Amino acid sequence: MRFHWFAQQYYTKLPSDYGDTVRSGSVTPPVSVADPAQVGADYHTYIRLMQQADGLGWDSLLLNEHHQMSLAMTPSPNLIAAILAATTENAAIALCGNSLALYNPPVRVAEEIAMLDCLSGGRVISGIVFGTPMDTAFSYGVPPIELRERFHEARELILRSWKATEPFAFNGKYTKLRYVNPWPRPVQQEIPMWIPGTGSVETWDVVNEFDYCYGYLSFSGKQSAEPIVKGFWDYTAGQGANMNPNRMAFTQVICCADTDEEAEREYADAVKYFYRQNPTAIEFATPPGYVSQQSIRANLERGKTISAAEREQATRGELDFWEYDRLGYIIAGTPERVEQRVRELVTELRIGQLITCMHVGNLPEEVAAKNNHLFATQVIPKLRDIWSDQEDRWTPKVSQERIAAKFGADAAALSA
Amino acid sequence: MPTLAIPNIGAFEIELWTQGSGAPLLFLHGYERHPGGAGFLQRLADNRRVLAPEHPGYGSSTGFEQFHDVLDVALYYRELIESWDIGEIDVLGHCLGGMFAAELAAISPQLVRRLVLVNAYGLWLDEQPTLDPFGRADDVKAAKWHAGPPETEPTNFVPDPADPQAAILFQARNLGSATKFMWPIADRGLRRRLPLVDAPTLVVHGTSDGLLPESYAQEFVRLIPDAELGLIERAGHYPMVEQEDEFVSVVEKFLAA
Repeated sequence: MRFHWFAQQYYTKLPSDYGDTVRSGSVTPPVSVADPAQVGADYHTYIRLMQQADGLGWDSLLLNEHHQMSLAMTPSPNLIAAILAATTENAAIALCGNSLALYNPPVRVAEEIAMLDCLSGGRVISGIVFGTPMDTAFSYGVPPIELRERFHEARELILRSWKATEPFAFNGKYTKLRYVNPWPRPVQQEIPMWIPGTGSVETWDVVNEFDYCYGYLSFSGKQSAEPIVKGFWDYTAGQGANMNPNRMAFTQVICCADTDEEAEREYADAVKYFYRQNPTAIEFATPPGYVSQQSIRANLERGKTISAAEREQATRGELDFWEYDRLGYIIAGTPERVEQRVRELVTELRIGQLITCMHVGNLPEEVAAKNNHLFATQVIPKLRDIWSDQEDRWTPKVSQERIAAKFGADAAALSA
Repeated sequence: MPTLAIPNIGAFEIELWTQGSGAPLLFLHGYERHPGGAGFLQRLADNRRVLAPEHPGYGSSTGFEQFHDVLDVALYYRELIESWDIGEIDVLGHCLGGMFAAELAAISPQLVRRLVLVNAYGLWLDEQPTLDPFGRADDVKAAKWHAGPPETEPTNFVPDPADPQAAILFQARNLGSATKFMWPIADRGLRRRLPLVDAPTLVVHGTSDGLLPESYAQEFVRLIPDAELGLIERAGHYPMVEQEDEFVSVVEKFLAA
């Protein structure tokens, strides 16, 4: 199985009462709390940690796109990706992803992904996302009822533009271009495609139709995600679509330490910061038209495996550190414990692409660096073989080969 | 349900509330929902034939996905009126329905005899930004009413005992369709077309509307060549509900002229 390094690029110096006094951490977060110099320092922290992860054997360095958010300061993930593409060797660069409906014309995304693929020597994973309601409907003003149609039109245009050997005309409903001919074209003939979602049935239809990798990217862990992930696999089996576990990406917060006590000591504050300093305003979460009637119904009728009270406590930072762990929000403790818990997670939910969230909230950089080191040297080697009998067309070949050569079982045997 | 088939576009199934006889009046409802057989419609139907179709994309009315923009809506209502084969018609549009009614009157002046716009969307004033009609539910609810929300708002929703989610889905479908024309700002260029409206126009406005300040009504009056302002005090976004008597009387008087 594959490991993808990720951090939600938080602003690390939010006032301590931010989560209680601010109505929304997205769309309208007060910009007065952020010092641009500190933002720059935070970016450098995340970049250093990703460069370290590349040298430790992660399969990709993963970035997401959010707008007007204090908890994810990555309005353009492609900018960070460009730095990584030029300064790393092995890991894939996973854009997870570009919000296609926000770019006009969307060939801008085709161009930037192709640039990154060239720059990285064919190491790009192209995640494409609808984007959250906060990003798309509120920050970028797309009428929610048009979002999915715009997304699919853009997706068709981009994929066609990567393959076309001649300039072509594109007469879409939202985009009209007489000459589509992006320079450059990507290195990879088939760029791995991912679509992260939040459980919408129509997204499942798309990933199954095109055999993309689906991603369930929450920070709520196994217990809360189980109905959606299992729902996806049941749906996929029902459609007779590809059941390959490498088609499922899942996010998990990891807090690794030499002892369980040390884990609590080192991570507890940052975990609370991560969950608590993220005030969510209901009016920005559910704009009308954003999800289909079918998905609203499915969501209303889907069983809940975590109580509303527990969820509320979790997002208010009120759970005990080990309660977060028990509910699956985090996997914490010694490498042995983390290994056993991750194994259980990925085998039970059929996950081939684990997005490990190695830095949370305002975690000090040196703790995250140690987290990287412990997980890479003592956990990943014991788990890499899971699902190894399954084909993986959802990560770049170049990265697969380089990582196998440097960090695979044979490489380990050679160095031993 | 009546069906309208438009060549080259497609079919629309329409929930149509209709009552009365005499001179025809087209009522176009607002962004939240069709009001069903609300009191003001019943009373207007005492003296005329009221035709109140539900917009495509609302309730059980279909064909919404065939709209690319607001021009398509105006042409759809032109086709619908022509399908009734009644010649000229008076048009009363509320809220989002006001935007559609004004577009229709600008594009098909030959069809619209007299036009009434009630707390209508379609314009934007930089100096007086409006509340987000899709914003925090409590804020929107409070903004709509002069004297606080009534126990029930007029609606054509029919509860389905077999489907506990029906009300949520009804609301989500209606407002989702409204976003096509009102998100993120309810301005699709109507300002440039209002000078083309030939019909004598009454711009009715509940003065306590927290969604649309009175200045918006004044702007409609300024832009439409033959328009007069009819302010209704002690009423918010739904003057036809909060001041039904005064509303019906003002509209009747204008249409009788």
